[in-house]
Amino acid sequence: MFEGLFQFLFKYRPVVFERGELAFDAPWPIALVLLAGAAAALPAVVIYTRPQARLRTPDRALLAGLRLAVLGILVFCLARPMLVIATVVPQQNFLGILIDDSRSMQIADEGEQPRSEFIHETFGPEGSELVAALGDRFKLRFFRFSETVQRLGDVGELTFTGRRTDLARALDAARRELAAVPLAGLVLITDGADNADAPLTEILLQLAAGRVPVHTVGLGAQRFAKDIALERVATPRTVLQGSSVAVDLTVAHSGFGGETVRLTVEDAGRIVSAQDVRLPGEGETAPVRVHFTANEVGPRLFRFRAAAQPGEAVSQNNVLEALVFVDSGERKILYFEGEPRFEVKFVRRAIADDENLRVVVLQRTAENKFYRIGVDDPSELAGGFPKVREELFRYDGLILGSVEASFFTHDQLGMITEFVGQRGGGLLALGGRHAFARGGYAGTPLAEALPIVLDSDASSDGGSFFAEVKVGLTPYGRGHPVTQLAEDVESSEARWKELPELSMLNPLREVKPGASTLLTGRAADLSDPLVVLAHQRYGRGRAMAFPVQDSWLWQMHADIPVDDMTHETFWRQLLRWLVSGVTDRVAVTSSLDRVERGAPVTITAEVSDSGYIRLNGAEVVANVTTPGGLEREVPMEWTVERDGEYRASFLAEEDGLYEVRVQAQQAGVPLGSAESYVQAGDLQTEYFDAEMRASLLERIADETGGRFYTPATIGTLPEDVSFTESGTTVHEERDLWDMPVLFLMLVGLIAAEWGYRRQRGLA
Amino acid sequence: MRGRIASMACAARSVLLVAALALTVSPLEGQRRSRSFPRRPPPENVNFEEFNVPYDGRFAFVRLRFTPTAIGWGGGGGFFGGVNYQWDHDYPRAERHFTRILSEVTTLSPLTNASNILALDDPELFKYPVAYMSEPGYWTLTEAEVEGFRDYLHKGGFVIFDDFVGGHWFNFEEQMRRVLPNHRLVRLDASHPIFHSFFEIESLDQYIHPYRFVPSVFYGVFEDNDPNKRLMVIANYNNDIGESWEWSDTGWIPIDLTNEAYKLGINYIVYAMTH
Repeated sequence: MFEGLFQFLFKYRPVVFERGELAFDAPWPIALVLLAGAAAALPAVVIYTRPQARLRTPDRALLAGLRLAVLGILVFCLARPMLVIATVVPQQNFLGILIDDSRSMQIADEGEQPRSEFIHETFGPEGSELVAALGDRFKLRFFRFSETVQRLGDVGELTFTGRRTDLARALDAARRELAAVPLAGLVLITDGADNADAPLTEILLQLAAGRVPVHTVGLGAQRFAKDIALERVATPRTVLQGSSVAVDLTVAHSGFGGETVRLTVEDAGRIVSAQDVRLPGEGETAPVRVHFTANEVGPRLFRFRAAAQPGEAVSQNNVLEALVFVDSGERKILYFEGEPRFEVKFVRRAIADDENLRVVVLQRTAENKFYRIGVDDPSELAGGFPKVREELFRYDGLILGSVEASFFTHDQLGMITEFVGQRGGGLLALGGRHAFARGGYAGTPLAEALPIVLDSDASSDGGSFFAEVKVGLTPYGRGHPVTQLAEDVESSEARWKELPELSMLNPLREVKPGASTLLTGRAADLSDPLVVLAHQRYGRGRAMAFPVQDSWLWQMHADIPVDDMTHETFWRQLLRWLVSGVTDRVAVTSSLDRVERGAPVTITAEVSDSGYIRLNGAEVVANVTTPGGLEREVPMEWTVERDGEYRASFLAEEDGLYEVRVQAQQAGVPLGSAESYVQAGDLQTEYFDAEMRASLLERIADETGGRFYTPATIGTLPEDVSFTESGTTVHEERDLWDMPVLFLMLVGLIAAEWGYRRQRGLA
Repeated sequence: MRGRIASMACAARSVLLVAALALTVSPLEGQRRSRSFPRRPPPENVNFEEFNVPYDGRFAFVRLRFTPTAIGWGGGGGFFGGVNYQWDHDYPRAERHFTRILSEVTTLSPLTNASNILALDDPELFKYPVAYMSEPGYWTLTEAEVEGFRDYLHKGGFVIFDDFVGGHWFNFEEQMRRVLPNHRLVRLDASHPIFHSFFEIESLDQYIHPYRFVPSVFYGVFEDNDPNKRLMVIANYNNDIGESWEWSDTGWIPIDLTNEAYKLGINYIVYAMTH
């Protein structure tokens, strides 16, 4: 509409004015034209400046101005204005046409027809006006692209089955292929749903520098009318067998606001969890936390699925997968208790049937007298609490009971802090008459690791604080795996409300910045809630505070049924979470848990000595076992950037599960091994974020001097492409003196002068 | 697996301390209250809750009360105005002395000047996972008490039976069968961890009844009848460690015997708090 009106008034389309340069080519010397114009203007100026009784000064100025404007337009036309514009020489230039051959082109998001239909209609054997117009001007070269780029002989070769869209690679390949010929530009026909990691900036700069305009043609809808998509899934990489796993999902949608969808979790086809999710309003995403129990050992591919709804544009984006390693190994936790308390008994009972947790108890029964339970051999903890790193760091977790800070040496307190920060162990500090500030921990190295603020004045109450508190969930704790006491969040919340009160001797009210509170306790005579369970990440490990003294009441209390498992469930989940992710001396992670076939995988290993000091001089090798069973060795190199960090890469060329086993040794002495898994296969990437990305396509066009089109506006492409400085071009002159707008202005100005004079009684 | 660090020197010091404290412990509040209790009150009108303390998280000695097969006058306890409830034998001097020793010898911080008397169907009992019963030979149970006691044990409670000898066994065994019909009373030997949780008790031969002079025998009830699992009940048959605790400050009972009684008690408590 706008462009048509513009062309009517100005004779040419806007693109001609954008690309052309203004010039004058008067048939007479320009000075003569100006002189003639001045001569014609002089009488009008003289007449209108002479005082006349019937005309006021404003009238004279207005009429003089109108007359001069008319004369100015005439002078402009006599000077013969024109646009000088570079246009291609027909059939002397090449035009690269890049066609998206990825799966997203199969999406039928606008009507019944898929995006690829436009390709068939336009470039099919029947031909089209567009191709004919382009073919008249250029030598056309076609390319197909997805994760790879290939020359295309016939549109019939397109399959629209590419697993990824890599625009940067496509543009770069076409530029290189056509570097030796006069290139007028590139036409990129795609939905713009780029899902490669490659940045576009570099290739766009190269194209701009080479004066190769890229004209983009966007296919598909910028927003699906009706669709549900799982956008993100966040799972732990490793969990202990039998653990409750909490997974955060983000559900996006359009057109389903207020409706409820069923969300399921599958493990090898078996549904392990299901819940209904009510979708928020249009444009909003729903964060969802799902819980399930990981029972099967080994690398497990969990599939998260939002049930497909009628009318959805894409159903493939309703499914996401995540690879989780379910560890059957045993985690060893040291529980050091400073005074005989029932917590020891009931914690031991709670995890007695848990094959993945073992609690070794060091019970101080008298001064310098210890009672050990669950030790492996007579020498373990024979000297009491560990005095050297190697002795303490053999455990994955540490529970500190009611034991005063002065029991430890300064080095031991520092060692416990390093146990969390460097070794990556889990620390759980319990309440009691010798715990936290009351136990003298304020200002000690250990206080740094704890998630709560220890007020040194807190112990100034003479140790008299005592409160029986009703424990409740915080909003954060509501969905946390530690505090899930039932299968679903609502039942869990209801169970928490039923639990009996516990008692506290440690009034902790403030957590540190970065720490999270899961449980708080309220007492009738306290205005503010007390912190009952909080955690924070400290260095490589986790530190938790649980400042109650009798959680065993959740087992023993008269209100608790005999067969109730609340206490057991809570403690198992607490300790499992505390030590989940705790690594050994050799740890390995892969950059991604799932990759597309053919994608590179980067593996990173961390290697430490027995005291968990990072080792840089180790010999580290990754044995990669392919899905087909072939094994190959990949040496790992120290990264230099971080102590003890080694890295290597390999290509996942087959669909299936890759096992990566890293072994480290130093001077022939084994340091340990660790394993990680990567699932290669079809990630259905093309169906996520598959809406047409107009902003990206506009950016590509803008930065290279091209234009952005849609199927509705593509008709002007052949002419627009012709106006280019690239390739073999000639300069055309386009007259402007006969633009309709000038004629209309002349008529308008003269009519205005006449009308004004008549209105003033001068005509 | 059980581990142990205690040096012999440490253990010896502890025993000496027991003896020293046993001789020096002073008359207690409970004794004064005993003298002021009204003579011959109607037994059913006594409010035993008056003698209890509210829960504050600390270890409090709990004495289990029951309706005895026969209530007599004099003998045994005598605290409640001369009424002999059987379960009250040695109350409160035994628990006062014992908790003082427990406080001095271990890092435990028990209530030393108060204790509780609770029935087996009292919900308060569940706040105290260790309880003591004297004279189970006279023990009777209501159905509510059977249920309460069973729940208590299954949830994690631990009970010490003491002060019974000879024919008392039969009543004790019969009542236990009502509570835990599928559980067996198993005779314990010195290898069980309960005899090594604090003091190293290498042999049980030295234990005799303090005034009947018959050899003591120790029986236990295990969770699921599995000797590798938790001990829920220990029965000091042919023994009366409460008697030894009560009179430990008088010299009426030999110090050796008193020491051994304290050692048993401390081991029981430490075991119950860790198993």
